[in-house]
Amino acid sequence: MLISYNWLRELVRFELSPRELAKRLTMIGLAVDTVREAGDDYILEFDLTSNRPDCLSHLGVAREVAALVGARVHLPEAKIPSLRGRAGELISVEIEEPDLCPRYTARIVRNVRIAPSPEWLADRLQKIGQRPINNVTDITNYVLHEQGQPLHAFDLDRLRGRKIIVRCARRGERILTLDGVERELAAQMLVIADAERPVAIAGVMGGEEASIHETTRNVLIESAYFDPLTVRRTARALDLHTESSHRFERGADPEAALRAQERAIALICEIAGGEATEDALDLYPRPIVRPVVALRPSRVEALTGVAVPEEDIIRILTALGFHLKDGERIEVAAAEQPLRFITPSWRVDIEREEDLVEEVARHRGYEKIPEELPASKNVGEYLYGEERRRTARRALAALGFDEAISFSFINSAYEHGFAPLPTLGGDEVEFVKVSNPIIEGVTLMRASLVPGLLEAVRHNFNHGTRDVRLFELGRVFARDPHGERPRERESLGLVATGGALEEGRALAQRALDFYDVKGALEAASEAMAAPRLEFEEARVAHLREGQAALVRLNGRAIGYIGRLAESVAAQFKFKQPVYVAEIDLTSLLEAEARKVRYAPLPRYPAIVRDLSIIIERRISWAAIRRAVLALGLAYLRSVEFADVYEGQGVPEGHRSLTLRLEYRADDRTLRDDEVDRMHEVIVRKLKDEFGAQLRQ
Amino acid sequence: MTEVDHIAELEAVRSAFARAFERFARFEGGAGALPLDEAESALRELSELRARHTGRKSALAALKKQIGRVPVEERAAFGQSVQRLEAEIETRLERVERALKEAVERQRIERERLDVTLPGRRPRRGHLHPITLLRQRMEDIFVAMGYAVEDGPEIETDFYNFDALNIPPSHPARSSQDTFYTSDGLALRTQTSPVQIHAMQRRRPPLRVVAPGKVFRRDTPDATHNPMFFQIEGLLVDRGITMAHLKGTIAEFVRRMFGPQTRTRFRPSYFPFTEPSAEVDYSCFICNGTGCRVCKGVGWIELGGSGMVHPNVLRAVGIDPEEFSGFAFGLGIDRMCALMYGLDDIRLLYENDVRFLTQFD
Ligand SMILES: [Zn+2]
Repeated sequence: MLISYNWLRELVRFELSPRELAKRLTMIGLAVDTVREAGDDYILEFDLTSNRPDCLSHLGVAREVAALVGARVHLPEAKIPSLRGRAGELISVEIEEPDLCPRYTARIVRNVRIAPSPEWLADRLQKIGQRPINNVTDITNYVLHEQGQPLHAFDLDRLRGRKIIVRCARRGERILTLDGVERELAAQMLVIADAERPVAIAGVMGGEEASIHETTRNVLIESAYFDPLTVRRTARALDLHTESSHRFERGADPEAALRAQERAIALICEIAGGEATEDALDLYPRPIVRPVVALRPSRVEALTGVAVPEEDIIRILTALGFHLKDGERIEVAAAEQPLRFITPSWRVDIEREEDLVEEVARHRGYEKIPEELPASKNVGEYLYGEERRRTARRALAALGFDEAISFSFINSAYEHGFAPLPTLGGDEVEFVKVSNPIIEGVTLMRASLVPGLLEAVRHNFNHGTRDVRLFELGRVFARDPHGERPRERESLGLVATGGALEEGRALAQRALDFYDVKGALEAASEAMAAPRLEFEEARVAHLREGQAALVRLNGRAIGYIGRLAESVAAQFKFKQPVYVAEIDLTSLLEAEARKVRYAPLPRYPAIVRDLSIIIERRISWAAIRRAVLALGLAYLRSVEFADVYEGQGVPEGHRSLTLRLEYRADDRTLRDDEVDRMHEVIVRKLKDEFGAQLRQ
Repeated sequence: MTEVDHIAELEAVRSAFARAFERFARFEGGAGALPLDEAESALRELSELRARHTGRKSALAALKKQIGRVPVEERAAFGQSVQRLEAEIETRLERVERALKEAVERQRIERERLDVTLPGRRPRRGHLHPITLLRQRMEDIFVAMGYAVEDGPEIETDFYNFDALNIPPSHPARSSQDTFYTSDGLALRTQTSPVQIHAMQRRRPPLRVVAPGKVFRRDTPDATHNPMFFQIEGLLVDRGITMAHLKGTIAEFVRRMFGPQTRTRFRPSYFPFTEPSAEVDYSCFICNGTGCRVCKGVGWIELGGSGMVHPNVLRAVGIDPEEFSGFAFGLGIDRMCALMYGLDDIRLLYENDVRFLTQFD
């Protein structure tokens, strides 16, 4: 909203420069964004909060200035030179919807001459960003910006049947509004109609037909109070936001209707000539009553920390238009007697004691409230598991993964083809759907972080980055089948593609693969002191067969890992392998943390033997290790993976695997022949169970 | 044997050495220019030469054995001559050996000289998201000030997102124009404020909590808007809490966040869930309040909204507003992030462009 400094000074006397004024008003809650010089004037641009529609005019700002500097507001006198006839003789007004239109007033000026506005008027409007049209229309606009009351001017002779009916629109009714758009009206929209058709959308915009034209001679000025909610709904539904709807939907001053109308009539008579009716038709079937609010002076101190003397409270509130309801101090048992204030008709935001506390506080100045730290009766604490979340993040970053944050909603194209996080409820998972997306097609609350991460990979590919490692911590969602609140789980997603880059070296030494992502997943869970993750080959919707695994924690499936399936890769137009993983972080955080127990250091040396075998590819390392450990050899201390080799010298369908075996006794040094015997047992076991051959 | 014979023999040894040594003589002054392989083979040859001319079976050794057989009166003189010759040979051999060794050493060093300015070897490091970095810093500050970090669901009921926060049924924020709704009629939370309600249901006063988290508003993405962003909410409820405590707390936070010189400014404002309400500004961390491009010349930057918890909100969770009072505040993390790092387009925050992410530590 724009306010003219000079115009304001006509309404209230003050000695503040435009910039000082802007600063002072900002500090009492009327935020001034900019102050701009405009000829001999200054224009202040306000950014007002929605609870203060009363300040959406020069009068409204003047009231605050008056309270600020201790002055009074002077409204220009409305002198109407010639009066003739009564409004009721020229028009009849009927309100069909008194709840939606609690007050409607109409007054008429006859024999006006429509012409361009005089220069001073056109200039004023232009300075506050309004386009002059013609004298009568401009005057209604002028009064709106002066007093905050929206007015509408009709051409009396274009109102059919000499009748105004305030009613709801009928189905299929249309109106050509002043902006030149033909609009279809809906049944719950309030309109101003004549005997035959709507001539204005109540509180929003007038119709073209019954508005002021060059040939107009007789003018009807409407000044009304419309229900805020109705105006808001209509303006929203039509996507038509006007100076008028802006004020009505926030709440106009029902008591300002006649005063603003009189001011407009006086200006019309002065500028466009003509004679006004002696009176106005004033239908006020539902009087708007503002509350009487009690204020205990002690409450000001209780909420602001500053005691304000009673006379200061009364002075501030009186200056703002409140009236102390004298003689109504109720004797209460408590020592304190509340002050009772009658709220001014324009203050739609005042309802209760705290509202008055704010009025007192802001006019005394928030800057007068001291800064104090409250005595602490609490200890600080992080969110459950936050420390482990942080170490996991650090561990992943140390491994070269950058942290991503993606939108929580994903495109409906990903509804099928991606396995949701298993902890959300398996294959039966139903997506939470957004019914009013802002990005077309983005209607699903993600049930997996993977689609978002893949979009990030695509974005990076499109911008020339081919080596990408990302992780994300975030929530995934699923509908609850029993109609409870949706399930929300915290998930950890990983994606890796391209080369394993080194810091400061442009060329990767090797390509990233499955084991990089697996290693990252293990590092993250280790950083969180979670139990060891188990991996088991599995078929997963979005992963390539043979390079996909289910991730388990204490036996329970909590995620997936693998290479992206060709079909999904094709969907994203990926030409290089992409590896992804996702696990349920909530499960990891809830699992009992690994406990560290000290083990005494061995007193006797261990004997380490490497064992290389040729074995079928389908036999997994885990199965081999399990088989060796199942032998229960007393002195076998560990079975570690040493190396794997495929290719020359190894038969098709086989691989060469090297195990590192450590033998040790606690009470003596083992002899070679003892170790040889145990080693023999292992070799025989692998041969019998898997057909493994010793590699020469 | 005559004296002449001894002398002749001694001279013969000397000249034999001189002949053999001739090709090394040029290194006596240094072997700097010699290529490494030549220097190395010269060293080998030199040690052979040393063995031949000074070893146990050398002519010099034989000469030394003869000293005892020389007549007594000549013995001393002859002995001295042999010693001189030996010293002379040793000196020359050593001089050349040192020169060659130096040359070899020198060139080995040259050959193995490293470019110490090449990058050190380490895996490429990943980076935390700037939102995470800021959020963690804020959490640390508030935890140090005795606050508990809380969170709540991102998909909320109308009760938590609106009703309990004193947002009237007709409020525009509730419209499907501004708020995302699920097909089941739940709202994607539009603010972290519903966590206030959860927190007050979980904990009774005295309580102090902060709730950082994701929120959603139906804004079309552009340079200054995202339909999803992060906020941090703070709430303190106790007996006798006033706006002075709100001001003191925010001022302390801002000093810890932006430095001890940072000042705060409270302006009256409006939020349905606080009364009185205040908008908080802090003095610009770039210009310290004198006005610059970052603060658009005014010296102040908007931090967020705050105020005294509305009595209706306290009542909604069964806390008597006559007995307890509290303050609440909410700050936008994304906007702070944009200001602190000078982002000109906040869509970058959720595009996950590696070129962007790697800029933050
Ligand atoms: Zn600045």
